[in-house]
Amino acid sequence: MKMLNTLSGFIKERFPLENMNMKSMLMKKVVPVHKLSWAYYLGGLTLLFFIIQVLTGLFLLFYYQPTVNEAYDSVKFITEKVPGGAVIRNMHTWSSSAMILCAIIHFLTTFAMKAFEKPREITWWSGVVLIFITFTFGFSGYLLPWHQLSVNATKVGLQFIGAVGQYLPGVLSELPNKLIEIIQGGPSIGQETLSRFFAIHIVILPLAILAILGVHLLSVQLHGMSKGVSRNVEKTEPFFPNFLIKDFSLWAIVFLILFILSITIPFESFFPYPLTEPYNPLGSTPDGIKPEWYFFFLYYPMELLPFWVIIVAMGVLVVGLFLVPRIFQGTKRKTLRFLSWLAFAYFVIMTVFGEAIFEMIKGVK
Amino acid sequence: MSDFFLLISLPYVAMFSLITVTIYRFKSKKFSLSSLSSQFLEKDKLFWGSVPWHMGIGIIFLGHVVAFTMPKLLQALVSKTNILYILEGIGLIAAMFALGGLVVLFLRRLRNARIQAVTSNMDLIILSLLTLQILLGILVATLYRWGAAWAPSTVTPYLWSILSFRPDVSYVASMPLIIKAHIVIAWVIILFMPFSRLIHIFALPLEYITRLPQIVVWNSRRLKEEVIIAQLEAQSRRHFLKSAFGITTGLILLSIGIADKVIPFFRGPSLSAKEKEEMLKNKLEKMKATIKQKELENERLVNEYIYIADLKDLKTDEGLYFTDYSMKPALAFKDERGLPLLYSAKCTHLGCTVTNKVKNGKLLCPCHISHFDVKTGDVLDGPAPKALPTVKFILMDQSQQIVINPDKSKLNEYKVYIIKEGNT
Repeated sequence: MKMLNTLSGFIKERFPLENMNMKSMLMKKVVPVHKLSWAYYLGGLTLLFFIIQVLTGLFLLFYYQPTVNEAYDSVKFITEKVPGGAVIRNMHTWSSSAMILCAIIHFLTTFAMKAFEKPREITWWSGVVLIFITFTFGFSGYLLPWHQLSVNATKVGLQFIGAVGQYLPGVLSELPNKLIEIIQGGPSIGQETLSRFFAIHIVILPLAILAILGVHLLSVQLHGMSKGVSRNVEKTEPFFPNFLIKDFSLWAIVFLILFILSITIPFESFFPYPLTEPYNPLGSTPDGIKPEWYFFFLYYPMELLPFWVIIVAMGVLVVGLFLVPRIFQGTKRKTLRFLSWLAFAYFVIMTVFGEAIFEMIKGVK
Repeated sequence: MSDFFLLISLPYVAMFSLITVTIYRFKSKKFSLSSLSSQFLEKDKLFWGSVPWHMGIGIIFLGHVVAFTMPKLLQALVSKTNILYILEGIGLIAAMFALGGLVVLFLRRLRNARIQAVTSNMDLIILSLLTLQILLGILVATLYRWGAAWAPSTVTPYLWSILSFRPDVSYVASMPLIIKAHIVIAWVIILFMPFSRLIHIFALPLEYITRLPQIVVWNSRRLKEEVIIAQLEAQSRRHFLKSAFGITTGLILLSIGIADKVIPFFRGPSLSAKEKEEMLKNKLEKMKATIKQKELENERLVNEYIYIADLKDLKTDEGLYFTDYSMKPALAFKDERGLPLLYSAKCTHLGCTVTNKVKNGKLLCPCHISHFDVKTGDVLDGPAPKALPTVKFILMDQSQQIVINPDKSKLNEYKVYIIKEGNT
């Protein structure tokens, strides 16, 4: 009973009913103005990219066919034959990368600005879940074009789950492999896998993200923008309409850039052709299979370090992320900023130089 | 004859009067260059008349200027039908705006006593001419459709022929009466322009678009304060209107751009017969491959052993890909003694497919550079944890009998079969 009371008290504090009205959530909300104010735009930008993903994704659904036989050809049909299809597909791919990048930077800045402080824990937790969902979006969508790169990278990605088995005792050691088979829907990647990933990508994840995004945005509007810096902020600007107009102006500019990018540069032009050939289940795997750039920070360490190190690190990271509001309760923003920079530097180094580091250490090529 | 008079003489007279009288008025009666505001006599109707009229006529005028100065560009643009529709649509809407405004202004001149007191005959002539001209313009646009497409190659050359002093009416001589009337009235308006309030066009017209409306007040302290407040309000309203106009224009352009991409996207491609044929062929091939794949699957479910190849076709340096009982890729080689050597081609590390070319007695998995010994399947280097598993096989001779002890001289006659798990 006491625990129930604590819980309901906790929730009441995070979702104050008296503040759930237009006046306090929209009209009276203010945005602090200081050196780090630019970070307040990142969440909105991520939302913009998500909206673009939903719209372009719906468009792609008109022509995409989720079968092993048709997937590759239908994607090719969209890019080559359907008027405007290339732009829409490029937009979907470019915007997916942009969404993940924005989400990562948003995540690091909110950490640095200590935006997880009471009463914003729920915003933080929902944000952590959102970023995991976003990555899953990337992983599941990658398989759908059904070309060499996408299928083989998915194969490699899934096998990492199986690699956990070697550390489990006895009967349990077969469990990860069973899990892979459940995800794949069979002993190897095939039609069942495509159907599952398709359903996950276009129905399950969007529903999940909408629900959690709702909580995330509601708590952002309820509690207002976090102060973000340690000293007292005197200057603020109204959220409505000043900040919102700036936000939408930024959206307009970003949309323009994305549109131009999508018209001029196909995302796939970064991969050599053999990788974007249709998947051949019997041929040898082509050279240069790797995941999308946003998984590099995870992928190259997996290649380089003993696998148990990765498992432990991942476990600590995931649990740690949820405990952030507790662990860093008393930490100064200066320290948090430093940690954020550290994480960002690691991410950039692994993304840009990961391959070079890998080749240097392994001594290949 | 009337053509010659109305379409050649009249223009030159009009232009002559326009230039000389305008210069004369600029030099001698500078104060009269304005449109002689009557706002302090009546301002409500003025707003609802003057603003739509000027907005509408401004857009219409711009359209005519483009057709006159850049006919090639305009023609290139309107060769796309949707651009033509949009331009004509904008023109027609602007014309309706202008006409509406003009009617309000006309009624104001005729009904308001204070305004009538300051209305000259010339004002009424100009108003009538403008109303007539707009009506004619709308008629031309609706009766003789797509002026933006035909005018650049007919009216524009005529206008240039007048301006370049090589008058040539042949471009417009055979045109319908309404179009000719539209042209003639245009010249008449130009003729009257310098004698009327229309001369205000030459007095910095650009400023009209964005400047605050002038407020005329009687001389009184109380009113002055009110005016300051009114000015501020007007300023803020203007600011809002300007940004709203900008945003609306942006949104309209965005919607046009998006519609331009999205509507054809949903309509789908119109494929040529050849393209259709190619796609169908491709599809059929894929289907055949699927049938083959399904047959393989079925074969593996039903049969106790499955034919892979003739032993003589296997090579020592290049493997033959085949599908094992679990539908995963496998490789068949021949060893030094001439007997088959069958491995699973699924790398034990992360499941990539191993290459079939043997280099220095080694097989490569390209994903993470693991090497396997082709003789035993053992890992030589790389991250692979285990050797490639071998695949169980049997040999059969020509009479479909299982060979227990292979006869070295008859190796070429043997066929290689793989067998189901659990069988020996």
